[in-house]
Amino acid sequence: MTNAISGLGLAPEAAMVTFPIALFLPGSDIGAVEARKQEFYDGLTRWSPRLAAGPSGESPVVAVQGATFDDALVKANNAMLANQWGDGLPLWPPTRARVEWILQGSARPRTDALGTFPPRGGVATVETCAIALAMAGGRPEYLPVLLAAVEAFLDPESGSEQLQAASGSAFPVVIVNGPIGRQIRLNSGFGCLGPDPQHPAGASIGRALRLLQQNVGGARPGIGTMANYGGLRYTNVVFAEDEANLPAGWPAHGTERHGFAPGQSSISLVFANGATNIRRRGAKKETPEEDALQGMHRMADFMRVPNLAGLAGYEHGTPGILMIPGVVAQTMVGLGWTKRTMREFLWEHSRIPGEHLARAGGYAWIEIDASKVARESAALDPWPITASPDNFVLIVAGGGHPTNSYWLQGYSPGVVGREIRVPEGFERLLAEAERDLGG
Amino acid sequence: MVMLEFFDPSGRLEVKQPHAPRLDDLAGKRVGFVSNEQWQAYRMLPLLKSLLERDFAGIEVLPIDAFPQGNALIGNEETAEQVKRSGVDAVIIGNAA
Repeated sequence: MTNAISGLGLAPEAAMVTFPIALFLPGSDIGAVEARKQEFYDGLTRWSPRLAAGPSGESPVVAVQGATFDDALVKANNAMLANQWGDGLPLWPPTRARVEWILQGSARPRTDALGTFPPRGGVATVETCAIALAMAGGRPEYLPVLLAAVEAFLDPESGSEQLQAASGSAFPVVIVNGPIGRQIRLNSGFGCLGPDPQHPAGASIGRALRLLQQNVGGARPGIGTMANYGGLRYTNVVFAEDEANLPAGWPAHGTERHGFAPGQSSISLVFANGATNIRRRGAKKETPEEDALQGMHRMADFMRVPNLAGLAGYEHGTPGILMIPGVVAQTMVGLGWTKRTMREFLWEHSRIPGEHLARAGGYAWIEIDASKVARESAALDPWPITASPDNFVLIVAGGGHPTNSYWLQGYSPGVVGREIRVPEGFERLLAEAERDLGG
Repeated sequence: MVMLEFFDPSGRLEVKQPHAPRLDDLAGKRVGFVSNEQWQAYRMLPLLKSLLERDFAGIEVLPIDAFPQGNALIGNEETAEQVKRSGVDAVIIGNAA
């Protein structure tokens, strides 16, 4: 809660009376309210903040000493955990030298502020981002992607102000388009959502974003974020669209959704809170047409569930990101499908019968939604899981294998795009990466 | 010995505005509630209202629903203006969870 207070520009503290969660459950004994009434009275009359108005100053530098470098590294990692700056995995201490190295990847001055991270309201500067990327094992050529992702994250349209703290376990998904994906070794193929020594960029960038969410934004489990489960939050999700395998005439996501020029490096940020493989291909003697249609039905059927995650982005966001491999997209196009007809099929066939929505209590959530369009959708039966087919994010990515597709369940009020700006001398950084990591 | 110096990664905070001043006494004051209407607020806040009314002479505690309720409404500027216009001396906000 103090995170939220400081996020409003107030001193990071408040007159609060806090109770264990049991008090907030249906049928609870609320006698504790009377027992502690004086705390309420004092909050209204005697309480005073410890911090006065004004900037709290620059972040300090921390120092540790060890008998050897290894010992100092251990102590630095222990200190980062003790200060609740870590994520449980080993970190690179963000030394001045390492941060200076990372900052070579910025086209902007290090002091430039990108905004304040909710809920705590910590100021995200270029330098703060470089510190997080240094901790996450990143490299300077990753920084342009991280900066664009942070800008998109802090855009009010993304919904981050609420999703940072909410219980629904949202995590940001960063989709990269343009040449930078290949240049910095972002994965777009086999295993693109997981660890890959040949394509290490996504893990570092996503981990840095998470560290910013936690350290600058104050989103620590059970304190600044009430995410029940927090899945995929070690590294979030950062990958590139497989543009080399887009079917002819199939626009790249950044161009289609955000209007970026073809070939422009860009990111698109979406919040999701689920990730599931969907078996797409048939198993026996289907014709190509049957195989395609059955796969589409399996994907749409999977989306036709009344858990209402897509309600968060019903009007302007997305019900989710459907990832299909390039080989599947090309086959579908060869059979006459287009990106548009695929979206329209998914929209139509993922509609939920009103009876199913009613028995799952779905209407109560729809009726209290902030969006008028969403509230009015309650009159539709079967109920479309999103306002428009255009809201589905359809991405070509994943290994060149036709059996599976992947669904990142959306929890995203918006889909926010940003162009990526690289600094002068970026080619040199790429050459150094090739020297360091191999060709 | 090897020394490692590294940055605190939590970024700086800017305190842009002070908290509301506290009251010298609750007796004779006007107090309102702003509620998200969740997590047993419908039971806890009326209890608090009755306690205030019992313990402080001349206090006026507005009904729980005097202002817009619910997460979508309690944080917006319109609600804040409504609270200001009501002339309350203090506000209790609940329930967070």
